[in-house]
Amino acid sequence: MSNVIIEVKNYSWQYINTSEPALRNINLTIAEGDFIGVIGPNGSGKTTLAYSLDGLIPGQYNGIKQGEVFVFGKEVEQYAKGDLQRSVGVVFSDPEAQFTAMTVEDELVFGMENLGMSIPEIRERLEWVTDLVNLKPLLMKPPYEISGGQKQRVALAAVLAMTPKIMILDEPTSMLDPVSRKRVFEVLEKLKKEHRNTIIVIEHSLENLIPLADRMVLLSNGELILEDETPRFFQNMPLLLEKSVYPPGALLFFYELMVAGYSNHQLPLTLDEAEKKLKDLIKNRTLQGEQQ
Amino acid sequence: MSEQKPYIEVKNLWYSYTDGTLALSDINMEIYNGEFIAFIGQNGSGKTTLSKCLNGLFKPTRGDVIVDGLNSKNTPIVQMVRRVGYVFQNPDHQLFNNNCWDEIAYGPRNIELPEDQVKERVEEAAKVVGLDEAYFGEHPFFLSKGLRQRVAIASILALRPKVIIVDEPTTGQDARQSLEIMDFLKRLNEELGHTIIIITHDMPIVAKYARRVIVMGSGRILADGETRDVFRMADVLAQTYLEPPQITQLAQRCASLGFSPSTLTVEEMLEQFEKIGS
Repeated sequence: MSNVIIEVKNYSWQYINTSEPALRNINLTIAEGDFIGVIGPNGSGKTTLAYSLDGLIPGQYNGIKQGEVFVFGKEVEQYAKGDLQRSVGVVFSDPEAQFTAMTVEDELVFGMENLGMSIPEIRERLEWVTDLVNLKPLLMKPPYEISGGQKQRVALAAVLAMTPKIMILDEPTSMLDPVSRKRVFEVLEKLKKEHRNTIIVIEHSLENLIPLADRMVLLSNGELILEDETPRFFQNMPLLLEKSVYPPGALLFFYELMVAGYSNHQLPLTLDEAEKKLKDLIKNRTLQGEQQ
Repeated sequence: MSEQKPYIEVKNLWYSYTDGTLALSDINMEIYNGEFIAFIGQNGSGKTTLSKCLNGLFKPTRGDVIVDGLNSKNTPIVQMVRRVGYVFQNPDHQLFNNNCWDEIAYGPRNIELPEDQVKERVEEAAKVVGLDEAYFGEHPFFLSKGLRQRVAIASILALRPKVIIVDEPTTGQDARQSLEIMDFLKRLNEELGHTIIIITHDMPIVAKYARRVIVMGSGRILADGETRDVFRMADVLAQTYLEPPQITQLAQRCASLGFSPSTLTVEEMLEQFEKIGS
């Protein structure tokens, strides 16, 4: 059994001056190196959960907290200010909220300086993320002068540069076109495989998320209503569709085949898997037809 | 369709920004009443620039844009925006009044309609987008993104344009909100006869709603045709780094088994599966 890195216990949070809790009685355990996909409609509490894991809640927000949130075995409220943020990096869905510097390069360097890294190390990491997220042409530009998609990439790079043990990405690709979106997920795949970071991604675009996620979490109205290993998670298709989660076409197709009795319970998570499975299925069907 | 006169004609359109950057090269197309079109392509491919040429916000550097018989070169913008409305990608770039009523009334007032007609138009537009009267006095910024987008669309509808261009209607919306906004545009198209153009990166949305697709790349039209036919053009799409919806790709990879490479939906795929090998 791998190390538990995050443990959320009977946790509820209600923002001040609101009539309903944003999160209710959440229980969630995340192991080191896990890649978790968090999905759910807008307003279901996904961002509140992200803020709760890096101590922004209750640190920066007023409200009522019940239950506990442990990160590395310690309750988030027990951390000295700023300590938790060294190990938990958040890429916000609104990247402007996180910019403070006058150039993209300064923006990337800022976080590393704050962590007290040496200049050679900062230089090395700057080169690495610039390359990884393809930011070279933007380094000297002011963050407010670049496009929404470019801002999202800078925000991602700024967090990557610090390589926190836990990375939380809140809709990191909402403003990106399909190519840049794919590139971001390629970067995440690399981090997962080579660095064993624990990664939590909040996303509406499931096609890229599903092949990477070890586990999926569905939030609805502030409650965690489904959590499972990704292939098993999608066995609950009626619930997902009811909650307006629309899986990629190939996955939905195989779910329908499964319900109709044509296919087994192993749902394909990627296009490659779906192609192979469909070819096998048709081959077997044809063989059976010939035998009869 | 060929006997009908096009509502919009674009002839040899070139557009350069004032700094000299070439944004559109030799665009030719015709748009007919009642069409539902998707402009697709990477960021920077010219989709938004082309849209702004269609509503007269940008004047051609060379060539012509003719809308309802009027050449955009010598037609005042107030005449153009009554025919082609453009809804911004981010509603916040468009909304600037202190309450929803003034926001929706801005266009009709700008074309100098008398106040009683302005009132009629605002009420009509609000009704179409399903914006309750209770919101009329609200500041748009305190509404949800979905509602702000409705206000943005209502403010365009109040000008009663024949053609409505919506830039990235589903960005930042969850699945339910996306379908709601798209079903609403479909209703404008089918019931009220508006021509709808969406600019989007969401291929499943394109497959479900658009009947015609125009693919843009580096300021040019790379393909223009029926949705099914365009999604078959893997090479063209790859040129601009787009991919057809996942179910279409699956059908294309399994075409040798008898699946049609222009399959658009899961239902179509299931129907074919029933037939193949049974």
